[in-house]
Amino acid sequence: MASFDVMPDVQLFQPVELDDALNLADRYAGDGWLLGGGQDTYGWLKDRAKHPQAMIDLNGIEALRGIRESEDGIEIGAATTLREIIRNELLQRDYSLLVSSAEVVASPQIRNVGTLGGNLAQDARCWYYRRGLSCYRAGGNTCYADTPEGMNREHCVFGASRCVAVSPSDTATAIAALDASMVVQNVGGQRVVAAEDFFVGPATHITRMTSLEPGEILTAIRIPAKWAGKKFYFEKVADRNTWDFALVSIAVAMEMDGDTIVDSRFVCGGVACTPHRLRNVENAVRGKSLSEESAEAVATLASDGARPLNANQFKLPLLENLVRRAMRA
Amino acid sequence: MDIATYKNDVWGREVLLGVSWELLWLICVVALVIVAVHAMYMATQKRAERPSKEGKHVQRHVLIDRIMHWVMAFSVIALLITGVLPIIGIEFAWLTLHWIAGLVLTAAVLFHAIRSVLQKDLENIMIRTSDLKEPFDENVKPGKYSLAQKSMHGAVTVATLLVIISGLFMFAMIDTPWWDRTNSLSEATLGWMFFIHGLSTLALIALLVFHLYFTLRPEKLFYLRSMIKGWISEEELSAHHDPQRWAPDKTA
Repeated sequence: MASFDVMPDVQLFQPVELDDALNLADRYAGDGWLLGGGQDTYGWLKDRAKHPQAMIDLNGIEALRGIRESEDGIEIGAATTLREIIRNELLQRDYSLLVSSAEVVASPQIRNVGTLGGNLAQDARCWYYRRGLSCYRAGGNTCYADTPEGMNREHCVFGASRCVAVSPSDTATAIAALDASMVVQNVGGQRVVAAEDFFVGPATHITRMTSLEPGEILTAIRIPAKWAGKKFYFEKVADRNTWDFALVSIAVAMEMDGDTIVDSRFVCGGVACTPHRLRNVENAVRGKSLSEESAEAVATLASDGARPLNANQFKLPLLENLVRRAMRA
Repeated sequence: MDIATYKNDVWGREVLLGVSWELLWLICVVALVIVAVHAMYMATQKRAERPSKEGKHVQRHVLIDRIMHWVMAFSVIALLITGVLPIIGIEFAWLTLHWIAGLVLTAAVLFHAIRSVLQKDLENIMIRTSDLKEPFDENVKPGKYSLAQKSMHGAVTVATLLVIISGLFMFAMIDTPWWDRTNSLSEATLGWMFFIHGLSTLALIALLVFHLYFTLRPEKLFYLRSMIKGWISEEELSAHHDPQRWAPDKTA
């Protein structure tokens, strides 16, 4: 596949007002490209695998940046960089799960420019899709990864529907575990979507990873106070410790009453086309304490219903072990 | 406007991807224009006196055939809704609903085909050379089915069989309760299956428009009644059919 060092011919818009950005997004719709930190953008353009007519740079819009306390928790502008999230004292104190997940995204350089919105809304990292092949996700009629000889070590073990790509976002698992809501705007107004509904699998939208429609912009992420200051656990396993995507990750939020787990949210990354909630584990740990015994009792529930591909069966014990480690913490 | 779309396969060769869905709008517009032109033409024609539905009834469709007709009709509509809406941008988890409706249609078509052969009803629906006089001579009346009905049935049969056969190949590619997805067809073969499936779907959309239109035309409503209640009146029988060519059960 040809790859180029220079940018393709694309019209660049750099609005400073959200309304202007929304109008541009509406005007260009599917032919427009929303630019955050650009870390999921330039590869596509360099490889000429995507051909947007216009690029709408959101970084100059002050309304999309910053971390604000709200009546019921906290609101983070979608263009807030991962570095700002990592260094924010309020997040460090009350929502360290998000901080932990942001800390392991890619590399320091990427975290300096990469935005939370961009990290959440990034596209699938399947080799075949990224190469520009006409797979299901690219509008074609086959999945190259889901074949006996396919390179599917990084692909999903849950929720495949024709496409077997996984959600590559590290922060998405934390956002889902924190029961966040996504504020989505278009020229007609705004809608607030639960994080679990924001990420969509291929059974519904095979050509995109989120429920963002053309013309819509993710403007903010709201995290409710319910999970502020609770017990958190985050761990990401990748082939190397920096600049790599998760093979499997886990984000856990637990509400404790003394030593007893009253409520919890276990969300895994790298195993499904969306952040994957382990509801059977959540049900099983209710009323239990953090211990080796509890870890052994619930760990195997994590892989219930999994359907590994030829090269990613290792994800099942890995997933179970991450649950064990979360329950020992 | 292209009929088909193409892609490069993993080796860089150009292979068929499927039907061009731009045709969807063309098919819909053309079908609706044909219907509108026919409706306007019929509006200019002198309205023939309609035979009464009163009096003795004769059996046109037995209960099991009526049930099968409606099962097939609703499964085709379900297939079109689940198959076409995502293409025009209304996305939802359609695949499972689609193949379930496809299996219902396949089973109903199989049942209908076997029953038609066993009941010797095939003879009634076959187009014969003598039928070709019907449009040109108003004194020539049809047997159980008119030439138009036979033609419609023939077209629907071909389109339905094509959509079922191609659909079964595609069905083998996905996860079902009975087998795991195989992804075993070559890209070129898969492209042909998608093309045939799409093209026959477009044909079924046009045929559905025509079928609904002619079903709801005032002078044809008694056929709709017969597909619901099973009977037509003796007067309707003698007005629209040749008793020498079709002698239904008058005791029904």
